Amino acid sequence: MRFDLKVALRYLLSNRLQSALLIGGVAVAVTVFTFNAALINGLAEFQIDRVVGSSAHVTIEPAQLRPAVLPARDNTDRLTASQVTLERREQIKQWRSVERTINTLPGVTGVSYNILGTGLVSRGQQTLPVTIKGVEPSRLAAIAPIDRNIVAGDARLGLNDVLIGRKLAENLGIRIGQPFFITSDQGRERTLTVRGLYATGIDSLDARLAYVNLDTARVMFDLPEGLSEIEIKLADIYVARQVAEQLAESTGLEATAWMDKNQNLRQALEGQGSSGNIIKMFTLITIVVGVASALLLTTFRRRPEIGIMRSFGISQRFVLSVFMIQGALIGVLGSLVGCILGFGFSTLLANISTGSGRTLPVDPSLGQYDVALLLAAAASIAAALWPARAASRIDPVEAISQ
Amino acid sequence: MINPAFTPSSDDLALLEVKDLRKVFIDRDFQTPVLKGVNFTLQKAEMVALLGPSGSGKSTLLTILGTLMRPSSGSFNMLGRELTTLKEKELSNFRNQEIGFIFQYHHLLPDFTALENVMFPHAGRLWRETRVGRERAAMLLDRVGLKDRMNYQATRLSGGQKQRVAIARALMNQPALVLADEPTGNLDRENADQVFDLMTEIQRETGTTFLLSTHDRELAERCQRRIYIESGVVVDQPVPRERTISAPRTGLRVIDGDAPSVVDRTSTTDRDLQRRA
Repeated sequence: MRFDLKVALRYLLSNRLQSALLIGGVAVAVTVFTFNAALINGLAEFQIDRVVGSSAHVTIEPAQLRPAVLPARDNTDRLTASQVTLERREQIKQWRSVERTINTLPGVTGVSYNILGTGLVSRGQQTLPVTIKGVEPSRLAAIAPIDRNIVAGDARLGLNDVLIGRKLAENLGIRIGQPFFITSDQGRERTLTVRGLYATGIDSLDARLAYVNLDTARVMFDLPEGLSEIEIKLADIYVARQVAEQLAESTGLEATAWMDKNQNLRQALEGQGSSGNIIKMFTLITIVVGVASALLLTTFRRRPEIGIMRSFGISQRFVLSVFMIQGALIGVLGSLVGCILGFGFSTLLANISTGSGRTLPVDPSLGQYDVALLLAAAASIAAALWPARAASRIDPVEAISQ
Repeated sequence: MINPAFTPSSDDLALLEVKDLRKVFIDRDFQTPVLKGVNFTLQKAEMVALLGPSGSGKSTLLTILGTLMRPSSGSFNMLGRELTTLKEKELSNFRNQEIGFIFQYHHLLPDFTALENVMFPHAGRLWRETRVGRERAAMLLDRVGLKDRMNYQATRLSGGQKQRVAIARALMNQPALVLADEPTGNLDRENADQVFDLMTEIQRETGTTFLLSTHDRELAERCQRRIYIESGVVVDQPVPRERTISAPRTGLRVIDGDAPSVVDRTSTTDRDLQRRA
């Protein structure tokens, strides 16, 4: 065993209560760190899952038509812009080639080829605006788990079927099997049959969105070939931006990642993350202050001993090392204990039901234990640096005569 | 016996040469000259007593010779090396290998055993304990009569035993010079005699040069040579001087062999008085 390690261990063991308190202090800070990480990250996952779980991770849309910019006729520096033509509709025409590109992408778990449009639903004296989404029946649940959210009827989408949210059904006073009169924004009227009711828990969807067969939508919105959008689901939601950039580049279409489509969520998550980071920073500061002050006291108490060591030619580096090792041991042991406590505490809370079968959004697997271990050990070593330097610079003559 | 066959080499007997060594302590605007040009030489394998009254500069001189403090001016050369020019790290190495310290108070490390205390200068230099170091430490402890106390925590030893461990520790790295600052000053007469005898024997066996400061004239007489220091300079012989001690209850009058040239009414302690009486 290295002799500096032996001396450091002996010093830690000689004052067991102080060492235990120090390790306990680091452990508590690391517990707070890891629990905070498990809570903030768990909460973020929960929120992301709620939003992203029933929507696309990457959405491909037609490139926006922009007004053409032309040089002015009088040869000046001015430019003129022509108005966007209203005759052309924004649509993805060559979607088969896009489909081939998507098929080559790794990590794609689901794709839906959609036609989107708006329409008005009439029932009795009531008329309500709705968003109509035409999807291939086989890909109905590729993006949102509509099949799992069906609360009445079933998820089949025949040519004359429509699936609507429970909220919309309540607003219209409509039930399974009843007719659904709809007029599309292209002026096409159609009578469909309510095949199923779904409830996603997101009001904006449950009250406004109606699913129809893709072929039905083609007729309703006069799109015999093209598509309004292509939605993609990924195994790793955090690569969505890269995938979107890649698709935009290779297809020339507009591809948007979920985080750019949900700015509010992004901001909320960033806010949460920042608060979490502040808490984590304070736990690290607690470690630094605690370890530094305790070791500084130890240094002061051991001044005569350090003076004696220096008097028989023990190097400053050796003394420095003894105190740095003490800091590192306190940090590593405290962090290990803290990680275990943090995991245990997070697991305990994650399993406590808050009523109606729900649990707190704490995810013990997201406790960032490796980061906590690394940072707490680094903080302890950094905290030991000052006392260690002070110890190594003790004047042996002054210390011995103390 | 540590090295019974030891005889000093006759071709080069000088171990330490001190020339015009001065030390001035400066505290804000006050300058206190403590050493005012000290000159002397130590030979290899001799035991020399350093005598002088309190405040004469003995401890400062030992501290400088032990390379723990730098002089204000002058030079001192040991084993052919001018020590005033060495850098801190070089001094530390030199101190570790060539100089041993024995203090008035034992200054053992309380969290370590007697054996570990003795091994410390060796293991601390190498950053690891070695079998050779352990064996030498054990041999030294055996020599100072503490074979059966090797694994005792330093705090469990008596005052005399602690000082014996300190002697063994000072000899661990086989230094050329051992500096002892009133090594028996903290011990009762019996223990003081035993410790002094032990040092004398070890000095003879190892050929290590001992320079020990003491107030104890009787012990000093048993050294091969005496250096007297008064008011920061080395003098040939102290002038015995009748001195009245400011002890109104006893009114003792003593003849102090190593008394300062200027009458010092405050520096002599009751303990000194009792011993000398």
